[in-house]
Amino acid sequence: MTAPSSPSPPSAPSAPAAGTGTASGHRRVRGGALDAVLRAEYRLILRSICTPGRLVALGALSAISLLTALATRAGSSFDPLREGVGYVNGNVATLIPVAVLVLGSAALGDLLEDGSMVYLWLRPVPTWVHVVAAWLATVTVAIPVVLLPVVAGTAVIHPDGTLLLSAVVGGLVAVASYSALFVTAGIRFRRALPWGLVYILIWEGFVASAGKTATKLAVRSYIRSILEQLTGIQLKLANFSLATGILVPLAVGALVLAYGARRLARSDIA
Amino acid sequence: MSAPVPPRAASAPIVEVDNVSKWFGDVVAVSDLSFAIGPGVTALLGPNGAGKSTLLRMLCGLTPPDRGTVRVLGADPRTDLGVRARVSIVPQQEAMFDALDAHGFVRLAAVLNGVPNPDEVARWALQVVELDPDDRRRTTTYSKGMKQRVKVAQALVNDPAVMVLDEPLTGLDPRQRNHLIDLFGRLGEEGRCVIVSSHVLDEVERFGSRVLVVAQGRLAAAGDFHAIRELMDDRPHRIRVRTDKPRELATAVMSAVGALAVRLEPASAGRPGGFVVDTTDAPRFRRSIATVSQQVDAALLEVSPLDDDLDSVFRYLVQR
Repeated sequence: MTAPSSPSPPSAPSAPAAGTGTASGHRRVRGGALDAVLRAEYRLILRSICTPGRLVALGALSAISLLTALATRAGSSFDPLREGVGYVNGNVATLIPVAVLVLGSAALGDLLEDGSMVYLWLRPVPTWVHVVAAWLATVTVAIPVVLLPVVAGTAVIHPDGTLLLSAVVGGLVAVASYSALFVTAGIRFRRALPWGLVYILIWEGFVASAGKTATKLAVRSYIRSILEQLTGIQLKLANFSLATGILVPLAVGALVLAYGARRLARSDIA
Repeated sequence: MSAPVPPRAASAPIVEVDNVSKWFGDVVAVSDLSFAIGPGVTALLGPNGAGKSTLLRMLCGLTPPDRGTVRVLGADPRTDLGVRARVSIVPQQEAMFDALDAHGFVRLAAVLNGVPNPDEVARWALQVVELDPDDRRRTTTYSKGMKQRVKVAQALVNDPAVMVLDEPLTGLDPRQRNHLIDLFGRLGEEGRCVIVSSHVLDEVERFGSRVLVVAQGRLAAAGDFHAIRELMDDRPHRIRVRTDKPRELATAVMSAVGALAVRLEPASAGRPGGFVVDTTDAPRFRRSIATVSQQVDAALLEVSPLDDDLDSVFRYLVQR
């Protein structure tokens, strides 16, 4: 485009051949440019979800978790390994999914809600790029804000290598898979936060505990299996092998992200 | 100009809308619209709630039509990424990315479009709309007019063949309105298809362009602005007159002012009596009413148009 008026553009694009030809074959963002797009969107969403209010609230929850760890250590226990596994298990069931829900549902959900999504959607960029950028941003914030405090709390209770490894592996799988679920929930539901809480508290907390079949449909069960397989401490409804515990939530997360991208491509954008 | 006949672009059409309808639940937002638009500025005129924004969103592929087809540059804007590279939009909503300053916002648009030198192009685009590219304040601190200009700047960076501008002059001061109207005109002269929506008749007049009038989701009129303006001025007008001698003045008005009909209104609840006049020549009526009232020695207490709002103008066009 030539500059319509001074100042002249430093690198003015050429005038378009408007009305001539079709769109097919025109510029799309591909290859290296796609990397730049992914990085740009990732940085944007990262900054968008890191609001002071969210960080303070999640930081406070993590601080409470650490205080719980300190209290656990202060209490006399003859089995610190079991206490440590219980601490990780408790946080995987509450703190991590809730924190990831707060971040993940806002990643694209807020943009869809306020209408600014149009500035990402109406670009020659496949929708999976938006979804992956949102997932990466959610994981990036969740790891330091909630996972690291949980690992630190685990170390406070019992600084055992195997226990810490189980906390790191289980926590990473939980963050990755919950992030996929809740980023997609932000696309799918107008009010993803209450829907996510219902999922965490009602489905994962109660319904999925009802039997072996229902257990297969809860992320928490797979994380428990990771903890059990790595530490040898038996946990309720931890029915899967280590490989299954790691791979299934990640594979499901990938499928859910693919669904999210497809859903976003077909969404009405305000 | 012809309201019911779908207008065709004089040159090769860039945007083609064919029998398009869109509804939200029971509400029909757009009903059976057909038109084609070529290069240059085309104004989309209609009252609030007429379906303009829905139509513009369909042109950009942001929402699919429930019936009919939309083609932009020969392809479906909903599914063809190649089209998106050549279309830009200035949406009506104010929301932008709160975390970014103006340069970051426009630069992001350039990056997402795969534009080389996004920094330089973003600086250029901001200068085109007379904003400071070095202003590092977040856009949340900007006035509505400044936000509008940032939105226009982001729409320039991808060298668009089609620009869709939804009420782009909202919140601008008169100088900036002139500047952007000139800018849109030049973009149209360069061969781009510039579609500008507005509900302000005088604003559209300044675009000096072809006009599509949309009302109640339907194409009410299409063609040259001046022809539509004449049509609007020629429509029957309804004017209320309150006076101390309604019957005498009404009789005089019937013969002197060229009224189509006069309906007497009795005095009530402390309000003086009067009458309502239907006329196709409102300017003549306004010029003559004072003289006629003097002739019958009647005091003019009120002369007020009953249907001078834009909604009634559009309703008239739809009902023709």
